Amino acid sequence: MRRWIFLALLTLAIPALAQTPMLQPLAASDIPALLKPPAHGTRIIAIWALDCAYCEANMQTLAKVVEAQPDRYQLVTVATDRYALHAQITARLTTMHMNAYPARAYAEASPEHLNFLLNPQWGGETPRTELIRADGSRLGISGELTPAQLRRIR
Amino acid sequence: MTMSGLHRTHALSWAFLLGCSGLAPLAASAHDMKMDMGSGSALGASAAFDAHGRLWLVSARGEHVVLQHAADPGTPLGTPVVVNAKPEAVYATGENRPKIVFGPAGEVYVQWTEKPAAGWVGDVRFARSSDGGKTFAAPITVNHDTALATRGFDSLAVAGNGDVVSAWIDGRDSVAAKAAGKPYAGFALYYTRSTDGGRSFAPERKLMDHSCECCRTTLAQLPDGGIATFFRGIYGENIRDHAYAVLPAGSHPAHTQRATFNQWQVAACPDHGPGLAIDAHGVRHAVWYEAKGGPTIWYGQLDPGHVPKHLLRIGGPGASHADVAVHGNTVWLAWNQVDPQGYALMLRRSDDGGVHFAAPRNIATSTRAAGSPQLLLRGAHAYAAWNTADGFRLIDTEAH
Repeated sequence: MRRWIFLALLTLAIPALAQTPMLQPLAASDIPALLKPPAHGTRIIAIWALDCAYCEANMQTLAKVVEAQPDRYQLVTVATDRYALHAQITARLTTMHMNAYPARAYAEASPEHLNFLLNPQWGGETPRTELIRADGSRLGISGELTPAQLRRIR
Repeated sequence: MTMSGLHRTHALSWAFLLGCSGLAPLAASAHDMKMDMGSGSALGASAAFDAHGRLWLVSARGEHVVLQHAADPGTPLGTPVVVNAKPEAVYATGENRPKIVFGPAGEVYVQWTEKPAAGWVGDVRFARSSDGGKTFAAPITVNHDTALATRGFDSLAVAGNGDVVSAWIDGRDSVAAKAAGKPYAGFALYYTRSTDGGRSFAPERKLMDHSCECCRTTLAQLPDGGIATFFRGIYGENIRDHAYAVLPAGSHPAHTQRATFNQWQVAACPDHGPGLAIDAHGVRHAVWYEAKGGPTIWYGQLDPGHVPKHLLRIGGPGASHADVAVHGNTVWLAWNQVDPQGYALMLRRSDDGGVHFAAPRNIATSTRAAGSPQLLLRGAHAYAAWNTADGFRLIDTEAH
């Protein structure tokens, strides 16, 4: 009986887990894989921070882009706050309704090194949007996306 | 810039454990020591020399601000003293860090931001010691306003007359505007002062609407003992240039002027505030970051209302969090420079009042995380304080 209850609970839990990826630390050694061009379409890296006043709106804009064309885009959120703050980061992602997307947080205690590895032409301001396209081309944009910038993404 | 082959032994630098549980005396030595503090610890810390040349360090350890000092730059730091006996959420990440300054009678003043984990709220907190940092009075909240709003990126200074001056970024006007359905760009800069040695602070005054939300503020003493501030503002449609003002005492009006004109337009949080040091002639030596044409750190001499003089681009991609110090005609600039291998602490020196600078020098490296550097003067001698994930370092700028 207990086994059946356990299996029933597990069956219920699997879809929930699938929809709520665990926040993962992002170390320097993880960045080449994150920046590797996807097999098709575009990977959008939505970089944000707990202190950022513009990040929620930017991420939700990007989420709409992805939701409109899920076969063309994949979205990954990256918090520049250190992973030790994972409880706060996870809570904020939930509040922002961004917890359905793969999420990373910096594994280092200061952000500049990982900022540089993600894009040396970026000085750390958030929000930052990095697009990695299947053809190997890239586009990085600082700040909340303007309608004109959004058109460039689409 | 690569950092291979640049590791050196720094005769007057040392490291010690930060962020450990417990408050036992920490290991230290007169040479670089690599001690793991864990990647999860906040690196926000401040150091200062007092009038006797003793080094003091305030840092966050869990829910406490702790204070240590050393008799001189070559001796180990002593046992940490807890500044806030009652635990609270000390904000020591990004550009937030506890601050320390000294009163004219040897008072030790410590300030930090309390920021609960949830929500956009915070308070500026302050504690004073009148027994040379052995014990602290119960902390007080500097801001009188109790509206739920974010406050932080604070700065602290002592004026020539002994007044304790505090400034910070405050979100109350943004909250109020939002509640009224009105637009409001950024936050605001508020300031106050204590005329009773830090026992109490006057109700704060707003210096300027539309400050940047998340960049550190800075204060510096003028030749007449007054205190000036330099901070990032928002001009027009999200142009992130900087403002300068002398903070008046009493009810005198302030005259705030735009002081940089880079025209970097972005709806973003740079998390990258400026630095300011004022020499005996009143020359305002400043450093700041902008990214209109890519990441750039500038040095310039502020001429409020006009483009700064003697502009010099001191850093590009990978450069961050510069500081500036001045003594006589000597001006020092320090900043972090990252490359794929990690962090380098860079230094430039001018001996003609900031008109010309010698070539940049790498004075320390770290393969692990590093906080913002601070330039500290001990008489005419400059040191760089650098808090890294391997420990705190004090680096003699003349030893390289």
